[in-house]
Amino acid sequence: MSQVSALATFQNVSKSYGAFRALNEISFELRPGEIFGFIGPNGAGKTTTMKILVGLLSDFTGVVEVDGLSMPDKRDALYTRVGYMPQAIAFQEWRTVRHALTTFGRLSGLTVPFLSHRIPEVLYELGLRDAMDRKVMHLSGGMTQKLGLAQALLHDPRLLVLDEPVAGMDPGSRIQVKSILKGLRDRGVTVIFSSHILSDVQDVADRIGIIAKGEMLKIGTLGELKDHFSVNDDIELVLSHDAGTWRELASIAGILGAEETRPGVIVLHLRPGADVDFASNEALTRLVKTGNRIRSFHPVVPSLDQLYLKYVGEGAAP
Amino acid sequence: MSLSMMYADELTGYYKSRVMLVLWVGMPVLALILHGIQPDLRGQMSLTVFSMLIVTSLAGTIAAAMLSVGIIHEKTLGVYSLFLVRPVKRRSILLGKFFAVFTCVAAAAVITLLVGLLVDWARGVAPGRAAFLELAKSAATGFSAIAITSAAAILIGIVAPSVLVGVILVIYGANQLSVVGYLPLLLGLNPAWLYTLGIGAVLTIVLLAISVIVFNRKQF
Repeated sequence: MSQVSALATFQNVSKSYGAFRALNEISFELRPGEIFGFIGPNGAGKTTTMKILVGLLSDFTGVVEVDGLSMPDKRDALYTRVGYMPQAIAFQEWRTVRHALTTFGRLSGLTVPFLSHRIPEVLYELGLRDAMDRKVMHLSGGMTQKLGLAQALLHDPRLLVLDEPVAGMDPGSRIQVKSILKGLRDRGVTVIFSSHILSDVQDVADRIGIIAKGEMLKIGTLGELKDHFSVNDDIELVLSHDAGTWRELASIAGILGAEETRPGVIVLHLRPGADVDFASNEALTRLVKTGNRIRSFHPVVPSLDQLYLKYVGEGAAP
Repeated sequence: MSLSMMYADELTGYYKSRVMLVLWVGMPVLALILHGIQPDLRGQMSLTVFSMLIVTSLAGTIAAAMLSVGIIHEKTLGVYSLFLVRPVKRRSILLGKFFAVFTCVAAAAVITLLVGLLVDWARGVAPGRAAFLELAKSAATGFSAIAITSAAAILIGIVAPSVLVGVILVIYGANQLSVVGYLPLLLGLNPAWLYTLGIGAVLTIVLLAISVIVFNRKQF
């Protein structure tokens, strides 16, 4: 674990709720300017990890450091450097959006004059500008989520801890939030976020941590997670005219087998370490020579969903 | 810094709430109506004194219900985590709430009494100086009871698992506890109102201190 470069580190952290062990000796680090996707089944320990990270839970064992300061002892010094959006985001219903953000901004040490331009700026970025004077109780679920994100971004934190930030958002809003997260990463902000929507994690995360039953099963880039299980690449071909010769492709070096998944759709399974360029060229050449017509041809990269199921097991909802 | 901010913040929320508007308008109106429809009261008891009775019997319960229900609701929703990841003392959250509700309910009580006084003055039956002094002592006793009930409601709000349990505990616990403030009157201690203020202040501080300790240990 590279202590020097890490913005936050967990070392052998355990946490129990009574007899239930929520975290069991987990260790990982968050690197500066990365987006860390955190996935796992319900009750795996994601929220507990995040609460420890922001100082909401203090009775744990192990070492947690953020920006070189240990938690929870130094959490007072860290409040302004960390932004947090909890899983169940809620505001006092009588507040307007502006009032809620003013309160949280002031509590984060920001001045009212600064907030008078910062609040519209953040709301504009999130597409909530028109709701600035609306009461929180009149916001939709997705808008409340965005307000939750707004209060976390308000003080320009170095570390953003987001517990299911896109839950309940429409597709457009999810794309918007993902774009904001990428923008924050480009500005050097470290983001850790959990989500059950694995395609979102796959879209934005630089590294992914998979946790289950309080144990960190694996951490790595999507490629590293794929390599760990030796998940092979596949090539999918769609034939507009099938001459029935595609079975012969299995004899090409590097191709493990070929199967028709749907009428006219052929999937070529490549051997581990196969020369993909050679196998692809050879397959296409043979198909054309034997009278097939090819509509499309593309590699199939295993999705995070597939990898997740391999790590956590079938039947474990992300 | 955070206590004054939390107080001002909560005050904004409470004074704008519909419950408060109902209280500020409703309590004087209720006193007027009840005084008007009770023929045996007219001539026997001035509206000012009757308003005091309404205030002492209603204001504490309303304040307690608002506080405990508010805290249970906010606790259940998870509102506090957004405060606690910022440099806010946990006690500031509770004390800000307590003082805000106490201020609002006290304002409602004062409005009710002032309306009673004005109506009595207009009718030419305003209480004299001596009666007015007695009223002031009763008001001090009443506010003392409101403080005790409110402090107990804060504690109930923190420990009660649901709104229903909270309301039951407020009615059968916090409300009854406020009677402790009236003990000097029942025991014939003199001056009773001064003893009552003292007991009220001590009991309120103790209850708030316990609330802060319990709240500090809570995980959100």
